Amino acid sequence: MINKVLIANRGEIAVRIIRACREMGIETVAVYSEADKEALHTQLADEAICIGPAPSTESYLSMERIVSATMVSGADAIHPGFGFLSENSKFAELCEQCNITFIGPSAEIIRSMGNKSQARNTMIAAGVPVIPGSTDPIYDAETGAKIAAEIGYPVIVKAALGGGGKGMRVAETPEEFESSFNTAQKETQAAFGDNTMYIEHFVQHPRHIEFQILADQYGNVIHLGERDCSVQRNHQKMIEESPSMALTPELREKMGQAAVKAASAAHYTNAGTIEFLLEKSGNFYFMEMNTRIQVEHPVTEWVTGIDLIKEQIRIASGRKLSYTQDDVQITGHAMECRINAENPSKNFRPSPGTITDMYLPGGKGVRIDSAIYSGYTVPPYYDSMLAKLIVHAKNRSEAITKMRSALGEVIIEGIDTNVDYQYEILNHPKFISGDIDIEFINSLSGE
Amino acid sequence: MKLQNMFKKTSRKAYITLREKPEVPHGLLRKCNKCGAGIMADDVKKGYYICPKCHGYFRIHAYRRVEMIADEGSFEEWDVGLSTSNPLDFRGYEEKVEMLQNKTNLEEAIVTGKIAIEGKPAVIGVCDGRFLMASMGEVVGEKIARAVERATEEKLPVIIFACSGGARMQEGIVSLMQMAKTSAALKRHSDAGQLYISVLTDPTTGGVTASFAMLGDIILAEPKALIGFAGPRVIEQTIGEKLPKGFQRSEFLLEHGFIDRIVEREEMKDILADILTLHQRCELPEKMEHAGTLIRERKKENESSEKTADEMEMMEESIELIEDAMELPKTVEMGAWERVQISRKKDRPVGADYIDNLFTNFIEFHGDRYFKDDKAIIGGVADFRGMPITVIAQAKGKNTKDNIERNFGMPSPEGYRKALRLMKQAEKFGRPVICFVDTPGAFCGLEAEERGQGEAIARNLFELSGLKVPVLSVVIGEGGSGGALAMAVADEVWMLENSIYSILSPEGFASILWKDSKRASEAAEVMKLTAADLKELGIIEQIIREPNEFTAATFGGVCNQLQQEIALFLGHYTTIDEKKLVEKRYSRFRNI
Repeated sequence: MINKVLIANRGEIAVRIIRACREMGIETVAVYSEADKEALHTQLADEAICIGPAPSTESYLSMERIVSATMVSGADAIHPGFGFLSENSKFAELCEQCNITFIGPSAEIIRSMGNKSQARNTMIAAGVPVIPGSTDPIYDAETGAKIAAEIGYPVIVKAALGGGGKGMRVAETPEEFESSFNTAQKETQAAFGDNTMYIEHFVQHPRHIEFQILADQYGNVIHLGERDCSVQRNHQKMIEESPSMALTPELREKMGQAAVKAASAAHYTNAGTIEFLLEKSGNFYFMEMNTRIQVEHPVTEWVTGIDLIKEQIRIASGRKLSYTQDDVQITGHAMECRINAENPSKNFRPSPGTITDMYLPGGKGVRIDSAIYSGYTVPPYYDSMLAKLIVHAKNRSEAITKMRSALGEVIIEGIDTNVDYQYEILNHPKFISGDIDIEFINSLSGE
Repeated sequence: MKLQNMFKKTSRKAYITLREKPEVPHGLLRKCNKCGAGIMADDVKKGYYICPKCHGYFRIHAYRRVEMIADEGSFEEWDVGLSTSNPLDFRGYEEKVEMLQNKTNLEEAIVTGKIAIEGKPAVIGVCDGRFLMASMGEVVGEKIARAVERATEEKLPVIIFACSGGARMQEGIVSLMQMAKTSAALKRHSDAGQLYISVLTDPTTGGVTASFAMLGDIILAEPKALIGFAGPRVIEQTIGEKLPKGFQRSEFLLEHGFIDRIVEREEMKDILADILTLHQRCELPEKMEHAGTLIRERKKENESSEKTADEMEMMEESIELIEDAMELPKTVEMGAWERVQISRKKDRPVGADYIDNLFTNFIEFHGDRYFKDDKAIIGGVADFRGMPITVIAQAKGKNTKDNIERNFGMPSPEGYRKALRLMKQAEKFGRPVICFVDTPGAFCGLEAEERGQGEAIARNLFELSGLKVPVLSVVIGEGGSGGALAMAVADEVWMLENSIYSILSPEGFASILWKDSKRASEAAEVMKLTAADLKELGIIEQIIREPNEFTAATFGGVCNQLQQEIALFLGHYTTIDEKKLVEKRYSRFRNI
């Protein structure tokens, strides 16, 4: 078992990991940049080692410095948290070479899941649905139409060398195909000097549904239900909840099995997430696998009662999973709001600075994961997330009321936050109805 | 609120662990000896032995260097098994050598042999600093001499990567003699018309700097390498002064005119390959030979046949058609002073533009090898339709900052000496020389006189008159006096339509003759300094037509014209026997 963990991260996730370790009687070592001397994780850990100047490339992303800090402190494991080095296969490999337990999957798995085409091929081989697409380059509309029919409408025609939305056209029906293809190809030729095209099924108004996975080193894989993360702005998630309104028990069963199949196919170990796009029709497609703990993990923790960080540490220590699939029961409804230091009225511009005063809510069914305190200065160098407000209630509508009530109590003075913006979303009829997809936030800006 | 030491510590459960304590395996992490940062040895190995953090260069083992430069599998090692005779019977020397041989797996401080760089063969020598700081004992000297001799025999270029503390003390006077031996071998190699590229790496000092390292036709250096004769510490002790930062580093030597170019390690192979390509003796490309035949035929025709009026008209028509296609305007009537002003316009294309647009693969070489690199003159080798050419341009800047750096295109003596050095190099390798003239005049200043501005210009006239390769000069802007002529003792001199070429600036002319520089415009009209005037006087051979507004945007037409004319020039002159060529050039000036 691990005796001392070095947390190669900062902010609330570092604090979250320190807390789990403390509960398990595991000593903790924080690493911090010069800008984070006063940070909560620096103060809360048993030891703290400064690893360099504020820019993360010279501190939280410096593998050499983090490994050196591990040696100096005598820690036997590293928890990478999320972001920074968490999905860096080279870092995981370095830990393996130095006999440091990397709390996460092996370097090999990180590498293979990080490679999009390799991950896609693994999933196809395992029978996990992926977004259907052409395998060979397409040069003319006639061949394209045949393949589009196989793939299933609507389809999107893309430039093989694509990027920036150029050379992309959606064809809703076979009748539209020829003109869409030709337009896209013309644009492609003009933009990239090439006419190689690619056709993919066009996933319309999908939801972002992800399944939490736990897997041990003995081949046991379970899923902990889903999280619906469709409320996102520019691919940044804002609100996550579990369970999802869009899943019937049958669909949950089906998607859960697919997620387990996906993780098994990848020979996955430790905590991970399988992300799917879910269409209204109930068709779902594998998008990618996140080989780390996620920001929104508390949502799953609350509906399942499983402490994911502790479970990560146990798995990394070589223990068997403490739970079987049957042990996993989803109870009630959990929801998380991310509270960021940003100004929504100024295009969500980050708002670093000193928190002069603050008050955070509490009470039954309210959880706050944060690294801020009164007098804390939010540095400008890192991610702007300040805190996560998580609530748990019997059902979704009660969870919404609870979240609204808790958000109403949040007071953070001195810097701008997105609390009011989140509050508005919580009151939006469409959100309340649960009928949302990943375009939801974008559609709001038009209102 | 301050949180320092306010939280309680973890109440520790001591778990039993069967795992071994974490440990960084030997050699996985290294410390950069320049910036002190921890770095992964693997990153360094895969990254040309450069610190990923501070971009400092680590010294490289000889065989690694060969791997980095040579095509895979092309290295054939020469002269293995030579051993030192310990000429001073120096105590412990043989043991020391043996110990180093065991430790480094090297026989001596240099590895020599033959390689191919992108298919082009070359003889290589690489010093290895691990072996008595690559000091030059008899084995090092002998291996270099043998490699160079064999290269001369096999007509191969030589590349030596120098890195050395200098002479080898343990071998005394015998070591000193290696300086003469290696230099002598290189002299023969050079006299045989063969190429030697010296690459200086950190550190190159003492007797090595004072022999083979500084004798390259082309001297390259890695960034920030220490290069010098006396070591910095010795100098400091001798003069009792602290040396300035960057003293004796590559950049310092570049500025002082002793190296041609600083080359980053990542680009070394490419640059070496380019240089080798540009030094391959190539047969005259077919196209140009064809052009040469054409021009001769055309001349014959002009001389022999008398044209009918119809034919003349047809010819004129066809010339007009060509001019229209090139979007060139009809010749405009314009005063001389107006042309003077146009020739000085700030947005007029400058030397560097001509180099960029007329040639490919230009490699700039710096320095006069005496004192400084003069930025008022740009020179180097380039490719013109498959033919290596030496290109030298007087360089005005494109903006004020650029102009200050380039001294407004007014060369100093070191600029002319750099030009001459490159011309002599062109002669050695049989490359034609193309000069672009654009200067208000040679730099007029205290330092220029101190270093012999007059001598430098005179020397160029002297040497250019007898240069055994074709020389073409194109006046592209101002052709100011002796400063221009120093690059215009050529087989042909051409002028852009609105460029000028004169004994002195109109301002100077007016001030000398009429004691009033304000009468410059008047002076311009009487000086006969326009292209048309000079063509009539027989001073130049050809006028290159210009568009009305001649800027970078309208440069294309002029380039097309120049490219065709240069091809014709080369086609013609490269076929002329060198004696005749020099004779022709002599009479060109003799008859004026």
